[in-house]
Amino acid sequence: MTNTSNKITDEQLIAEAIKGNKKALTEIVLRYEQTVYNFAFKICRDKDKAEHAMQETFLSMVKSLKQFSGKSKLSTWLYTIVSNHCLMLARSKKKYDYTVLENEDGLVNDKFISDWKFNPEKLSENQELKDILDNAIEKLPHDYKVVFLLRDVEGLSTKETSEIVNLSIPAIKSRLHRARAFLRNELNKTLHV
Amino acid sequence: MKKIETTCKLVMNHLCDNLGEDLDSPKCLDIKTHLESCPNCRSFFNTINSTVEFYKKYNVKLDDKGHKELLSILGLNEDDSNDDE
Ligand SMILES: [Zn+2]
Repeated sequence: MTNTSNKITDEQLIAEAIKGNKKALTEIVLRYEQTVYNFAFKICRDKDKAEHAMQETFLSMVKSLKQFSGKSKLSTWLYTIVSNHCLMLARSKKKYDYTVLENEDGLVNDKFISDWKFNPEKLSENQELKDILDNAIEKLPHDYKVVFLLRDVEGLSTKETSEIVNLSIPAIKSRLHRARAFLRNELNKTLHV
Repeated sequence: MKKIETTCKLVMNHLCDNLGEDLDSPKCLDIKTHLESCPNCRSFFNTINSTVEFYKKYNVKLDDKGHKELLSILGLNEDDSNDDE
């Protein structure tokens, strides 16, 4: 999450918000609502669910603001809450066969390797491509998905990611590796030339 | 010293592990050389990169309605951020 270059830090805003300063609380929400919503969408792949997860996230934040220790960044903390709310929303989701993720040979194979006909630059005008991306990532188990999104998409460090998903560094690396290969293979089914 | 054999599979696995990290490090030199001469591995590398790029570029924007609803749920007011209390 990018911090604004405002002089007032998140920590100062939190301290003010705890004292009941609504202006400070509003400022925190304005700083992070877009990132929280976008990240929630990336996990849920559904705008209504993302909005719901965003609301729940800020409600939780307000409730437990006093417990925010300042040990980690506010953004790290928010990512954690979003991720947990999205996990709860996904509970009823249908199960996929994840054995392919455990099997190295299934993930990296040299069959059907060619470049793709789509270019990431063309994404915004292509709903069909967006659907393909949604469907592929929906098949990943929650923790693989969140690790991929935090590390590769949001650009967080391995250490920060490990704090958020509560997994060891080697576990993060292994999930990231498998998630990338899995998504690449899923997309390859429709995108290969 | 025995030279590590860089089969395509090893190369691809290594690429998955190290994407976004320093491909200029000495241990990656073999990989780089292999990539230059192997179209298969190059395609694999490109498509892994594209996968990440696709998901990076796929973003949504919170609309005004969603923004207002959020503030109202939290009992906040847009003007709160501009007022001097
Ligand atoms: Zn090769």
